[in-house]
Amino acid sequence: MTDLDAADALRVGDRVELRFPARGDLVVLARLVTSAISARAGFDIEELEDLRLAVGELCLLAMGGGGDRHGDLSLEFSVSGEAIDVSCTLAGAAGVGRAPGDEVSEADRLGEQILSALVDEYGREQDDGSSRSWLRKQRRGHGA
Amino acid sequence: MEQEFWINEHHEGAFPTIAVGGEIDVATAPQLRECLHRTIAQGNATIVLDLLEVSFLDSTALGVLVGALKRCRELGGELHIVVTDPRIMKIFEITGLTKVFPIADSLASAGVSS
Repeated sequence: MTDLDAADALRVGDRVELRFPARGDLVVLARLVTSAISARAGFDIEELEDLRLAVGELCLLAMGGGGDRHGDLSLEFSVSGEAIDVSCTLAGAAGVGRAPGDEVSEADRLGEQILSALVDEYGREQDDGSSRSWLRKQRRGHGA
Repeated sequence: MEQEFWINEHHEGAFPTIAVGGEIDVATAPQLRECLHRTIAQGNATIVLDLLEVSFLDSTALGVLVGALKRCRELGGELHIVVTDPRIMKIFEITGLTKVFPIADSLASAGVSS
C-alpha cells in the first residue's frame, strides 16, 4: 500500500463518482481521480499506474474511439474487499461507434489489448441511449 | 501529476528527430500525428521519435505511431522509437509493439548522434 494515513483509506463499500463532459481533453480528469482513489484503496504504485492507464482506456472505450461526444461521461469507483470496480457510462450516446479510419480501429484494438493485460476483467455494453464500459482489478496477491 | 505536452523537431545526424515530452493521449496525440505526417510529407521516410521525456501514452498515441510507421515503410523508411521509461516500455510490451517498432534506449543507438 502506498504511504497514506489510515484515515485517508477508502473502505469496503465506499463509492466515488465523477461526471464530466465527454471530451478527450478531459479524460485526464479520470486518470487523476483514479490515481487518488487507487492509492486510498491500497493498490501499490505499479498497480496504480496500471489502473490510471486502464481507466483512461475505459473512457475511450465508452466514447467509442476517443473523439469528443455529446453528453457526459459518468465514472463510478467502488471498493469491494480486495478489488476495485470502475464503471464508465456515456449517457445519450446515440450514434456512438468507431469513427472511420484505420488509425482509430488500430487504437481501439490496442486499447482492448491494454485493458486485457492490466485488469482482471473488463467489458462494454451498448444500448440505444448509452454506452457503458467497466473493469475490475484485484489487488496484487488477490487475483483469481 | 499531468505534465505539459510539447514537441520539438530537430535534424541532427542522418534523420529528422521529433522529441516529445509530457502526456500523449487522446487530447494531444493529434498534434503528434500532424507533426509526423508533415515530416513524412516533406520527404523523410525515416524518422527518429524521441520519447525519453514522455510520462504517459495511451492507445490513441500508439495508433498514431502505428499509422506513421506504415507511412514510413510505404516509402521504404522506418520509424525509430527511443524510450527508456519502464512504464512506457511496458505499454509497448503488452501491446506487442516491441516486435513492430525498432526501439532504442538512446538517440545514439537509434542512429542519431547525441
